[in-house]
Amino acid sequence: MQTENNQNLFVAEFKKYKSEADFVAFKTVSEKSRDYTVRNGKPDQFYESNDSGLLIEVMKNGHIGYGATSEFTSEGINHAFKKAMAMTTAAEKNSVFKFTEAIRPPSKGSYETLRSRKLDQLSLGEVYDFLKKTSLALKTNDKIISATSDVMLIETTQNYLSSAGAEFTQDFDIIVNSMQATARDGAETQTRSLHGGRGNCLQAGAEYFNLDKALQECEQISREVLELLTADNCPSETCDVILAPDQMLLQIHESIGHPLELDRILGDERNFAGWSFVEAADFGKLQYGSKMMNVVFDPTVAHELASYKFDEAGNPAHKKYLIKDGILQAGLGSLESQMRSNLSGVANSRSSSWNRAPIDRMANINLESGDKTLEQMIASVERGVIMFSNKSWSIDDYRRKFQFGCEYGRLIENGKLTKILKNPNYRGVTVPFWNSLSALSNTTETYGSPYCGKGEPSQVIRVGHASPYALFKNIEVFGGG
Amino acid sequence: MKKYLESFSQRLFADLKINEEVSLAVSSEESDFIRFNQSKIRQNTSVNQHDLMLTYQSNQRLYKTKFSLTLDLEVDLKFALAKIKLLREQLNNTDENPQFFAMENNGTSEVYKKNDRPDTTQLMALISDTFKDSDLAGFWTSGPIRQASINSKGQFHYFETDSFFFDYSLYNGPRAAKGFYSSAQWNEKAFLAKAHESKNTLSLLSRPQVKVSPGAYKSYLEPMALAEIMGMFSGGALSRNSYEQGYAPLKKLNEKEKLLSKQFSLIEDNTLSFDTHFNSIGEIVPDKLPLIENGELKNFLTSTATAKEYKLQSNQADPTEALRSFEVRAGTLEKSEVLNNLGKGLYLSNLHYINWSDVQAARITGMTRFACFWVEGGEIVGPIQDLRFDDTIYNLFGDNFGAFTKHQEIFTSTSTYLRRSMGGMKVPGVIINSFNFTL
Repeated sequence: MQTENNQNLFVAEFKKYKSEADFVAFKTVSEKSRDYTVRNGKPDQFYESNDSGLLIEVMKNGHIGYGATSEFTSEGINHAFKKAMAMTTAAEKNSVFKFTEAIRPPSKGSYETLRSRKLDQLSLGEVYDFLKKTSLALKTNDKIISATSDVMLIETTQNYLSSAGAEFTQDFDIIVNSMQATARDGAETQTRSLHGGRGNCLQAGAEYFNLDKALQECEQISREVLELLTADNCPSETCDVILAPDQMLLQIHESIGHPLELDRILGDERNFAGWSFVEAADFGKLQYGSKMMNVVFDPTVAHELASYKFDEAGNPAHKKYLIKDGILQAGLGSLESQMRSNLSGVANSRSSSWNRAPIDRMANINLESGDKTLEQMIASVERGVIMFSNKSWSIDDYRRKFQFGCEYGRLIENGKLTKILKNPNYRGVTVPFWNSLSALSNTTETYGSPYCGKGEPSQVIRVGHASPYALFKNIEVFGGG
Repeated sequence: MKKYLESFSQRLFADLKINEEVSLAVSSEESDFIRFNQSKIRQNTSVNQHDLMLTYQSNQRLYKTKFSLTLDLEVDLKFALAKIKLLREQLNNTDENPQFFAMENNGTSEVYKKNDRPDTTQLMALISDTFKDSDLAGFWTSGPIRQASINSKGQFHYFETDSFFFDYSLYNGPRAAKGFYSSAQWNEKAFLAKAHESKNTLSLLSRPQVKVSPGAYKSYLEPMALAEIMGMFSGGALSRNSYEQGYAPLKKLNEKEKLLSKQFSLIEDNTLSFDTHFNSIGEIVPDKLPLIENGELKNFLTSTATAKEYKLQSNQADPTEALRSFEVRAGTLEKSEVLNNLGKGLYLSNLHYINWSDVQAARITGMTRFACFWVEGGEIVGPIQDLRFDDTIYNLFGDNFGAFTKHQEIFTSTSTYLRRSMGGMKVPGVIINSFNFTL
């Protein structure tokens, strides 16, 4: 409930408390999220969330603690501030680290998603019409038992004020658009979707919706799910693998993004999400992957899901190489983690909303393109599998041993695409896997995930991942059953 | 909170027109979250949050809108009434919902539970002090949780409890032992006993590591490891709605093409009191609902909405059709006999990051985690390096099932995404005669 009255109260209340601790910051988040689903041409779900509240940060003797409230009134804010102070005063006696105010820079400015028509101008009727037409377009055959078209429209506003002098506002419009068909024939059931689950997500305005393009995508999804019903299982063997960008997003996320988070390396996540095989001494030395591997942290890309101007500690966001020519360069660590570890980091102090403390998160983590066309990459493979669209993922708590599965595969024999394959899966170990990277396509595609889970208390956050097609040598592949 | 909700709902419902129905599902919490690393405090966050899910129904159409409550009655009412006004204008631009059903008055009730636990500031000192000789990473959560389900037909269910848990792990370099303490009532002796037990487990991990190659091994899963696998039964596997739409890992079980061991029984048991006595739309849930009994699938979780669409009988499952409060029935294997029964194989205390690797085959993959050991001659030899498993539910609890232990453990939900969850499970340990490890 972002109103002018709320904004006035926010500023007035901040002024009241800003000198009551060594450091004080107020952050409000107001987020309207509409999630509409149409299944087989009929309404499945019309759901809307209007989440808003205040996060108060206080520093006492170098320890930062938090109080959060949805009670956006003078009394509610007073209660949250007193609680934050009492808990922080008790906690600082046994705190992990004593910070200085340098971890909260006095940044000023604003950010807005690049868009020509704001999402708040889209009515239920307009969105429903798009979803109904695309859902019906997916259902081209009686074997398709579920044809689902879904969109999440997210409008978020963050306001931040700190006693160090920070003052900024960020305004995001986000679209997560998915389309999915499930087909059944006897004992066989298969699902095909638009880039896997909710991988198709970006920052954009209402101009995103292009029905002609969406109907073409529906035709492809519907055709391919029917193909999968009669396809061979992916063979079990060791061979070359080409991963499409809508699978690479998970490969990058799980085996590069998470292990490079400095709070994991510092042990904060050991009890929940896990630790990391990466150690402090690896930065600047570890040959993470082959020489063609260049990975950046880049929250400055227009339209990518996790773009912003400042992280939630007020640190200005810049592009930075995490891995250059295959060598590990920098971690994903906020100013807090940088001070604790003496390692280089980025602007990635982020939280899921007003009710959670910011921690080290990914933002946009992108693998840079190479110099081959996809056709050249396929032509270079004697025997292999090309895999599209993630459907299964699992990795250990140190981020070494992973196993991923995709929706749709094609066998490559003597440089040519041959059979369609169902249930294509592969497994490997992070560093040897990335060192087997042997070709990258010369164009990239951009996807992301609205649901990256981490933290105690737990938080989901939005991340973007851009990638080219990537060829890996000698990978263990297998099918279903 | 109850008085606020009475005032809010009375005034909101008074504004409705004849053909309109509204229900309100309320979640409220005052939570302390304390995060530990190196047995010290990394972050403390106190959260006071209240939200309300308003379901508006009219003319065979429905729309759900959730919003944060400020507890300023006029502000919150103004927001809700504006939403309803907008829906009156817009909802008729859509079609009828096949899952629409008229709201009913499912009665009124009030339940209050209290937990006499120490103040969180005292707990912070106790935890740091108890584990000052250890490297602990962990998470303390406590405070009141309130839920309510109200509708314009006169239904008013209100539930308030106070709960806590301490979920932690202790480290010796990369080797770790897991601990968990939660109870209906705080007991410092029980807390300290748990701490002692975790430290003892950690000491076993100082033995030399044993290299175990991928392959199939007889394995014992402690209750906490089985609890991780049982989470897979909750994520759509027993949902009737998911089943009808083709997401059906238990299809072969339902069609009796496959059976599980006769020892395997999974019961949704609300008498365990892990969750509220009403679901999120206010229906009173049955005390016990057998889902899998003696190896055969007896019931899916079927919500009233799913029942309406597919012309089935509802069993008052929550609209999410997820497990809320359940038990895996105990077996007869004594805890003291586990190592003898295992003889040679893997002793697994925890599993991690489990996902379906083939939904239709009910095949799951995941990792071993924390204190896992190689056992020979009925004795622990040493800890193992983490292994990846990939195997089917039908193998684990069917063809390759060994035995359930007589003892069971309780795990209340530790999920804190968006808000603190309720729910929990009571599960035994399990011997699996052959468990397939791939990496």
